[in-house]
Amino acid sequence: MISMQPYQNPTYFLYLTVALLPIMIGLLRGKRYRLYETVISLAFLVLTFGGNVWIQGVSLIGYIIYEVALIFGYFHYRQKKNASWVFYLLVFLAIVPLAIVKLEPVFQLGKISLFSFLGISYLTFKAVQMIMEIRDGAIKEVNLMLTLQFLLFFPTISSGPIDRYRRFIKDYTQVPDQDKYLTMLGKAVHYIFLGFLYKFALAYFFGTVMLPKIQMIALAHHGLSWWVVAYMYCYSMDLFFDFAGYSLFAVGTSYIMGIETPVNFNKPFISKNIKEFWNRWHMTLSLWFRDYIYMRLVFLMMKKRWVKSRVAMANIGYITLFLIMGIWHGLTWYYIVYGIFHACAIIINDMWLRFKKKHRQAIPHNKFTEMFAIFLTFNLVCFSFLIFSGFFDKLYFMH
Amino acid sequence: MKIRRALFKIFGPVILAALLVVAVLIIPFASSGFNHRTIERAAVSQSKNVFKGVAVKQQALTENYVPFMGSSELSRMDSFHPSVLAQHYHRDYRPFLLGAAGSQSLAHYWGMQGVNHELQNKKAVMIVSPQWFVKQGQNPIAFMQYHSNLQTVTWLLQATNNRDDRYAAQRLLDMQVDKADSQLDLMVKKIADGKQLSKADRTYLQLEKNSLANQDRWFSTLSMKNRTDRINKAAGQLPSSPYNVKRLDAIAYEMGDKATTGNQFRVSNKFWNKRLKGNYRKLKGEQKNFNYVQSPEFADFQLVLNQFHKDNMDVMFVIPPVNKRWSQYTGLSMAMLRQFDRKINYQLRSQGFTNIVDLSNDGGEDFFMQDTIHLGWRGWLKVDQHVAPFLEGKYQQPHYQMNDYFYSKQWQDMANSQLNHYLAKN
Repeated sequence: MISMQPYQNPTYFLYLTVALLPIMIGLLRGKRYRLYETVISLAFLVLTFGGNVWIQGVSLIGYIIYEVALIFGYFHYRQKKNASWVFYLLVFLAIVPLAIVKLEPVFQLGKISLFSFLGISYLTFKAVQMIMEIRDGAIKEVNLMLTLQFLLFFPTISSGPIDRYRRFIKDYTQVPDQDKYLTMLGKAVHYIFLGFLYKFALAYFFGTVMLPKIQMIALAHHGLSWWVVAYMYCYSMDLFFDFAGYSLFAVGTSYIMGIETPVNFNKPFISKNIKEFWNRWHMTLSLWFRDYIYMRLVFLMMKKRWVKSRVAMANIGYITLFLIMGIWHGLTWYYIVYGIFHACAIIINDMWLRFKKKHRQAIPHNKFTEMFAIFLTFNLVCFSFLIFSGFFDKLYFMH
Repeated sequence: MKIRRALFKIFGPVILAALLVVAVLIIPFASSGFNHRTIERAAVSQSKNVFKGVAVKQQALTENYVPFMGSSELSRMDSFHPSVLAQHYHRDYRPFLLGAAGSQSLAHYWGMQGVNHELQNKKAVMIVSPQWFVKQGQNPIAFMQYHSNLQTVTWLLQATNNRDDRYAAQRLLDMQVDKADSQLDLMVKKIADGKQLSKADRTYLQLEKNSLANQDRWFSTLSMKNRTDRINKAAGQLPSSPYNVKRLDAIAYEMGDKATTGNQFRVSNKFWNKRLKGNYRKLKGEQKNFNYVQSPEFADFQLVLNQFHKDNMDVMFVIPPVNKRWSQYTGLSMAMLRQFDRKINYQLRSQGFTNIVDLSNDGGEDFFMQDTIHLGWRGWLKVDQHVAPFLEGKYQQPHYQMNDYFYSKQWQDMANSQLNHYLAKN
């Protein structure tokens, strides 16, 4: 048997339609068939992680047991005590499998990583988030079944969007009323069809039709040429439409199941500055990094009075955040440069905003300056994606 | 009631869309065929969708079109291009151009899948570029632009456990940079490993073939480049019948002379300005170490030859030269080119492919090449001296004696004294 990546082809959508139909009818009648939902979830997990990639399936099971044990162990500990070192240790332990997977290509630890399976990053985000909220006391009870449903929610398992435990549980334990559910269904259809346009038309055009041609010509020029610029825009469009299309499928499918998974993209290319961009691009990831890394780090710095200046604190936060994000993408020079690039961009952006605030009268603000801001941000972002694409690596280091 | 209407509003369009898709893909439409104009346009479009497809080629091959298999030289459409001459002098054949930049032996082998039936007992012309025979062989990214699942599916349905099919399967797997359809990949892997396809595999392939063939029929002619104006314009500069070689050669000389004024290499000004002007200084002596003698392409080429043999085709091979002014500047080794030439000639002749137009010594002729490595004016005219009589003459039953040795790594890498020794012995 062959495995199927989520939303990869029409066959997958056919299976999905058939499987979701009873869930939909149930929700319309005000019922949630939990057993059926669980069976379907398992079936789709087998579809993705079984067959010829069954080793991934085994990794997934091992990984889930490990993370659930950490979460539950920590939850029980946290009811009685709250030592910082235990918390840090737990977070560290929760990240270890992901770290091994990400470091594996660099150190060539073995042929296949123990925990290597599609979507490990997103599961780790969910697990770490639970541990942190358990520490905060925000998660007051954990239930094994609900935790598994949350972690293994199949529409979002491979690449997000990253939901939050408490938010997910609220949806999962309820049934939306009929009017609300009808609105959700309408949105779901809209999202999924927009996703078709994004992923199977636009991303196909940019990524499969155009990109190889442009790449070939650009590489043939051995060095900088206008073709590299063409590659930059084409790659950026491919990246966006591919990922946004995928996210739309995931959100649409969740909606049909009565779960309001948060959206991941909100017209990112109309952002007027880099900060706004990160509020519109891969939103659930940037919010995750904001809430669980940036805010916590800044808060820690404030509490421990490591740094005095608020500006310096923010900047350290940004650099840490984007460096981690870069490393998370993989341990290659271009992902790390990509991270540093965005950290610098956002620091400069903050400087400019402070400057603008001070000199509000002297700096014009109109339609034209707004257009210019959008243009500048767009190009800056596209350039960062060019770094991200690893194209410079191919251009300069692989000959 | 209210809920029913709401649901209809949401899902009505979805159901309609699904029905339309099913109709387009699954129902096998009786092919009414393409009209004459479409085939004419397709023949000179060098469109990748046409190359990857089946329907257009099938129809063209039942008419008076002859496959011209090659690569980037086919797009050098001056007045002496085969398509222009055939049209202007009302020959009874018309070239069907197959290939463009990046299509090498392997792409052509896969391009023949699906039309092998129509190719049976036909003639063809193949232009074999020395530049294909580099150390890495066919570039996977370029290959994928000429490859389609329709080719794979059609091929899989007839593949058996033999040397050619195992080799073709393995090479296809080598080219898969990203796994587009892993279901197909698994089947290709089976063939590569000498295993058989299951019944379920075949059912899947048959269904897939219907859908892909429909898509091919519907969509492959949608975005073709329209070159008919260009062909007409190029033909307009030629004197009308009768065809007089001496006169035409003089015109070719004059046209070449006019079009190559701006540079020392006498390559077309257009090419010079676009591709060389900026960086030609960097390329001085740059090709000293180029090697077209050791390459996996020799085995890929053998795969194509085997297909010609199976289809019982009468094929003419054209081996173009390199612009001498340019090769002297870049330091491309003439000794190496001679070696390539001997090697490829041996591979062809020893198996009975004797219809070879070897132009490798003509690189120094004025205006023979349109640019550095692509035939032009006088070169095309010289090709025509061989191609026209071949295609207007009768089909000759070929007698090929295929030799699997040419698939071997040993042959792919044979060079220098080893090659000389081998060729002297045989």
